[in-house]
Amino acid sequence: MKVKIAMVLRYVILILGGIIMLMPFLWMLSTSLKTQPETVKIPPIWIPKQLQFSNYIDAFKAAPFAQYFLNSVFVTTVTTVGQLFTSILAAFAFSRLNFYGKNIIFVIFLGTMMVPVEMLIIPNFVTLSKLHLVNTYAALIVPWLASFFTVFTLRQNFQSVPDQLYYAAKIDGASDWHYLWHVLVPISKSTITAVTVLQVIGSWNSFMWPLIVTNSENLRTLPVGLQAFTGDAGTNYAQLMAASTFVILPMVILYLFLQKYIIAGISKTGLKG
Amino acid sequence: MEVTFKDVSLSYDGSREILHHLNFTIPEGTLVSILGPSGCGKSTTLMMISGLLAPTSGKIFFGDKDVTKQDALARKVGMVFQNYALYPHLTVLENIMFPLKMAKVKKPERKKRALELAKLVHVEDQINKKPGALSGGQQQRVAIARALAKEPSLLLLDEPLSNLDARLRIEMREEIRRIQQETGVTTIFVTHDQDEALHISDHIMVLNNGDMQQFSSAETLYDNPSNLFVAKFIGEPVINTLEISDFQGELDQHVPADILKNAVSVGIRPEALQDHDSGSDTIATIETTVKEFEKYGREKNAQLDFHGKKLLTTEIENNLEKDQKLTLYLQKSGFYLFDQDGKRIFGGDQDAK
Repeated sequence: MKVKIAMVLRYVILILGGIIMLMPFLWMLSTSLKTQPETVKIPPIWIPKQLQFSNYIDAFKAAPFAQYFLNSVFVTTVTTVGQLFTSILAAFAFSRLNFYGKNIIFVIFLGTMMVPVEMLIIPNFVTLSKLHLVNTYAALIVPWLASFFTVFTLRQNFQSVPDQLYYAAKIDGASDWHYLWHVLVPISKSTITAVTVLQVIGSWNSFMWPLIVTNSENLRTLPVGLQAFTGDAGTNYAQLMAASTFVILPMVILYLFLQKYIIAGISKTGLKG
Repeated sequence: MEVTFKDVSLSYDGSREILHHLNFTIPEGTLVSILGPSGCGKSTTLMMISGLLAPTSGKIFFGDKDVTKQDALARKVGMVFQNYALYPHLTVLENIMFPLKMAKVKKPERKKRALELAKLVHVEDQINKKPGALSGGQQQRVAIARALAKEPSLLLLDEPLSNLDARLRIEMREEIRRIQQETGVTTIFVTHDQDEALHISDHIMVLNNGDMQQFSSAETLYDNPSNLFVAKFIGEPVINTLEISDFQGELDQHVPADILKNAVSVGIRPEALQDHDSGSDTIATIETTVKEFEKYGREKNAQLDFHGKKLLTTEIENNLEKDQKLTLYLQKSGFYLFDQDGKRIFGGDQDAK
């Protein structure tokens, strides 16, 4: 009996948590199908009288979303691939190679994880403007080509690989480079998938940085593009939510397909996403 | 390939030596075991042969060639690790092909060679499985095939059988012997199990605390242990060891006085204590009291009390009673005296190494 109550309680808490998590998404979906007056109605309504699918069409017409979409895909892809490449190399160095000052450098890098991203905005902006890179694709990409979070996660994973596998590869005639790409990376697939997905989501959703560092319309990414619905005369919530739904859809699909890897990869290293 | 160590020492931190001045030559085409208790430096010795570890001082030769400065990549040896270290993301065939791929052998050729090796080690029906789907014995076979793939001059095995169950262990050690004889590759086998070493090898090197104790055939190790450590380490049941002071004149007439004066420890193999006089091989008699007598199957073991010390014998003809007095005939083969450094000074063949 006691066990049963505990079980019920556990499910109730989990379901409540689930509902709270889903609430913003449901609200977004609901709002995207409302008329403009319905969006600001008090008390709020969950199900519109008539579903306004036309909001989606109008939202598309409001700004060059095809361009924004391509920008987002491009920036996200290059950032993620570049960051993975640098992080894999760095993680290998920290986990396997011996070099002077390795532990000190590692600790310093670890310390940077405690610096909030917002604090880096100004120094990064100043650096980029001195390099005359503001308002270019490079500005959107270069600062994110290295991530110590990714390095750290991968290093933890690489360190769990038995030494004997490395020795075996050496005996088999593999150089460090071959060992890394032919053995270590393939067997660390789940962790690499996890950090990739986290990076893709982070990069795709990134708002503050692209907003600050670009001002041409042809460099805008999707999250920045959503501003199109906020004008001097107020915000068109229905269209904003319709466009938002479109923006997050690829990430939701990605997450649903890869959640097994994300959870496995992250729980293995004992890190929070 | 003949392997020679010339005065090789190793220390990890510069102050504490793990291996002390090793000197030996492993003849070409033989199977040699490196035997010793845990932590004696036997795996470390193997790592130095493979090139994964560099000696702190001394030189290593393969044939006439000085390879001391060469790393594992350049030495071209094959190695099997204790946990096999197969690549978990590759199939059996791809695992065997991996060294060939690294050596840039063309794909059809490397597939052909890998299939031949899979046949040699009897895993040809498993080639498309991943290592995780194989039993320990099969993984072991794959690891041996992979180690042999690039036709190494040396095959190194680091405690390859210790993760297998008892029955499989016996099967695999015979397999290793067969594969070694079929390929003729010089093989060095690290183990802490004397039974394994005695059955498989042409020569056995006994290591303890980073020192080579003896390097000879299994028979010589048993009959002519060069010191007390080897005498105690080799043999089942373990040799009886006593202090020279435990004897009260029993040896005086039988061992030259100048040797007896330097003797500190006495080793007596359990089969060298007989309850009947064999004649010429008997060198002394001792009076004992029976403490325990066990009989199972063909074996008869007796625990005896000799001046307050315990002795074990396996050579009892008649059943015994507890507390019975018993005269034992000490046989010359299997009776040894050691000096204060543990060196053998009496018994066995003094010229044997």
